[in-house]
Amino acid sequence: MTRKIFRGRMKGERRSKRKGQSVEFADFRNYVAGDDLRQLDWNLYARLDKLILKLFLEEEDLHFYALIDASLSMDFGDPTKLEYAKQLAAALAFVGLIRADRVRIETIDQPVSQRNPVYRGRASAWRMLQQVGAIEPQGGTQLATGVKNFCMRNPGRGIVVLISDLMDKEGYESALKYFLSHEMDCFVIQVLSQAEIEPDVKGDLRLVDCEDEDEAEITVSAPLLRKYHETLNTFCSGAQQFCAKRGMHYLLANNQVPVEELVAKHLRRRGLVR
Amino acid sequence: MESLFRNSLGPTAWIILGLIPPAIFALYFLKLKRQPLEVPSTYLWHRVIEDLHVNSLWQRLRKSLLMFLQLLVVGLAILAVLRPGWQGESLQGEQFIFLVDNSASMSATDGENGRSRLDEAKARVSALVDQMESDMSAMIISFAEQPNVVQEFTNNRRQLHEALARIEPSAAQTDLTGALRLADGFANPGRVTIEDENAEYEVTEQRNIQLYILSDGRFAGVEDFSLGNLQPLFLPIGSLSAENVAITAFNTRQNEERPELRQAFVQLANFSTEDHSVVVELYLNDQLLDAAEVQVPAEAVASTTFNLLREAEGELRATIDPGNDFKDELGIDNTAYAVLENQRDSRVLLVTPGNNSLEAALTTDRAKRLAKVEKITPAELEGNAYQRESQTEYYDLIIFDQCVPKSMPQANTLFIGTMPPSDDWTKANDSESVVGPQIIDWQRSHALLSLLELGGIQIADANIVRPPLGGRVLVDSTDGPLVAIAPRDHYEDVAIGFEIIGKNAAGESTFNTDWPRKHSFPGFWLNVLDHFAGGSDDSQLANRPEKMVELKLSPTEENVEVILPDGSRQNVAVDDTGRLGFQDTEQLGVYDVLVGGRRAKQFAVNLFDRPESDVALRVRQEGEDSLNTVESLEIGYVDVAAQPAQTEIRREMWKPLLLLALFVLLLEWYIYNRRVYI
Repeated sequence: MTRKIFRGRMKGERRSKRKGQSVEFADFRNYVAGDDLRQLDWNLYARLDKLILKLFLEEEDLHFYALIDASLSMDFGDPTKLEYAKQLAAALAFVGLIRADRVRIETIDQPVSQRNPVYRGRASAWRMLQQVGAIEPQGGTQLATGVKNFCMRNPGRGIVVLISDLMDKEGYESALKYFLSHEMDCFVIQVLSQAEIEPDVKGDLRLVDCEDEDEAEITVSAPLLRKYHETLNTFCSGAQQFCAKRGMHYLLANNQVPVEELVAKHLRRRGLVR
Repeated sequence: MESLFRNSLGPTAWIILGLIPPAIFALYFLKLKRQPLEVPSTYLWHRVIEDLHVNSLWQRLRKSLLMFLQLLVVGLAILAVLRPGWQGESLQGEQFIFLVDNSASMSATDGENGRSRLDEAKARVSALVDQMESDMSAMIISFAEQPNVVQEFTNNRRQLHEALARIEPSAAQTDLTGALRLADGFANPGRVTIEDENAEYEVTEQRNIQLYILSDGRFAGVEDFSLGNLQPLFLPIGSLSAENVAITAFNTRQNEERPELRQAFVQLANFSTEDHSVVVELYLNDQLLDAAEVQVPAEAVASTTFNLLREAEGELRATIDPGNDFKDELGIDNTAYAVLENQRDSRVLLVTPGNNSLEAALTTDRAKRLAKVEKITPAELEGNAYQRESQTEYYDLIIFDQCVPKSMPQANTLFIGTMPPSDDWTKANDSESVVGPQIIDWQRSHALLSLLELGGIQIADANIVRPPLGGRVLVDSTDGPLVAIAPRDHYEDVAIGFEIIGKNAAGESTFNTDWPRKHSFPGFWLNVLDHFAGGSDDSQLANRPEKMVELKLSPTEENVEVILPDGSRQNVAVDDTGRLGFQDTEQLGVYDVLVGGRRAKQFAVNLFDRPESDVALRVRQEGEDSLNTVESLEIGYVDVAAQPAQTEIRREMWKPLLLLALFVLLLEWYIYNRRVYI
């Protein structure tokens, strides 16, 4: 599920950096007192008359986190962006379960103390889906706080997939930097509705922000729409560049593209899913 | 301000109207009818708005095309309510006739920026034509010596403008009568009345036609003219203070004191209120002969003479230079032309058996200057020389004293005591003789009898002379006419019924009358010589533009061509007797008559018209208030007052303004609906 190699806590199907018990050869080293004698390479001892340990790569499980932005702004579009995000998170989590990874699904607005269960194994898929299905939109987008809380809840390394529209008036940059400091392999999937990509608006409008009820008065005109598209493109490409410079993966998802297609095509190409 | 705008609303209405633009302005910025729309985030929109600076005032103004258009509509409406207008001329009526004077005086350059009066008049008519509505029609007549319909009635303004451009200045006199009669023909068609029992109904529709007369008014009033449906308006063109110096006469004549010399006489007239000295230059065939400075008193004439050699021949031209300190408004009267031909003596043949008193009267010094008189006896009438010369127009006049030729000669004739041997004369006179007739009346206005006193002449016996058809009795007596004149072809025959010297029964000469002892006797013969022969060469100097010039050429079958002063050529026909009538004399200058390619004659056409050269508009004399107004025209019994330079008519443009406002409103609607910009 990821190209990086992280340490796991339990044995899993994933190759680990740690040397341990597996069938895959990793290296040799000299015997040190206290080493497990079972790992001595007796053939080498017979040939070289030296005690040399044969090291095998340990196979471990993987920490996979799906962090869903469940703010009110995600409750827009058809299907809503939140719905789309939930489907996406569930799909990825299911892949993780199948591959015996440790899967945890959280939302941005969770407090530090509230930790969601970790799912492991195909059998926990049902519970996982139930949890995902229960996610309801609430609150405003506070990416930085949400990510910080997430990182505090989950100090270990792992793969995190942030599914959000990134529409945070404080900016998304500081939030993403938390992932970096925790050395998490971060995937950012920005979900936008069709109405945000191609706004179908006319006339004199007072736009009301659903989260903080901030207002913006606009008179729709061709130059205004042109400028909106420019701004949106700048915003998206800015996020992409920010991620690219920091080794993160970025993907822009339109809610009109089916989740299966996104997972099977785009995320496979990016290496998130193999 | 008052002349530009005219308020048509009260203060309350103005206050309400004045509040509309600020209201639009306020409503535009305060309009809160924005539809609320919940969006996931205003994050991007705020950035868009900030980028566009939509909230800045300038940006709003720049983008608020609709508001500008609304304000423009209101502004145009307010302007329309203010009724902006200007003073101008307007046409009242349905049909108009423009009479444009293009006579010589209309070439005066006292118009705006040195424009000629004709150009001023054309511009004035053009402005009037521009105001014509679609249901109006107009015609244009130019007039000088002859009226000319430049454009018949039409409502096509382009045609009228084109016709106006075709009017050219001419050098002719002004004659308004012809133009009025022409206009009258169009304006007052023959009336048709129908009698129904006792009532009369007029069938022909009578329409009033506005008649615009654009002229400088250098002509006398028109008498005996009824305007009928014509409603005249006199628009005087020109200024009251225009100045001009003109050559009003130019001719050549024999020097009285030195018969071998000829003189050129130049008369100048000063039509200004100050004395001026003028340099007169005389050219012969474009070579300067002489020049003289002449002091011309204000509103007076002066003259000068130049001596010419007798042999001089060619085109004579006199020009005047009024000098730089004098603004001479009319240029065409500063040059005059004359033709100087090698002078030929007029020839007179006296056929007489002997008449001392007559011979003495015909050979005085003065008579010699007029003609060369030859004398033969009646017996020589049979000779070949007479036969030949009498049939070839060799003589200008043949005087038959007490004798009669067999046939009438090709010359003017004067019979003394006999009748011309022509059927016309002999049938009319049955040799009715009377004794002692008393002269009771004579034609004092006739050239032959001018300045003569014939009363008290004793006549012993005389024949009564009755002229044939077309003839005229010159002297009448108690018993009947004694002297008569009658035309014959292009000659004239005079018959004097009594002899001057008669013969008694014994064949001795006796005095039949005491006329030779009277002062009138030599005077009569000088008149005869002057009329029939004298000064014939110089008599053609007073040809006027646009008047027919008659020339006498020898009968010819050859091609006759006239070269006009501008170099153009015209073929003309000559009648059997060699008379040439040439009508196309619009140009001033010298005309050459070519017969068979060789110059046969020349004649000059000159303006010499004081009313035309007196270019200042006439000021109305009577009345203290009207000292500076132009004199009116008199047409029939109607006194047509001169209109002021601009007729006080207000032209308003509220209609176009409202139309423009409507157009802007449509544009605003279109932009709002199509959202082409906002």
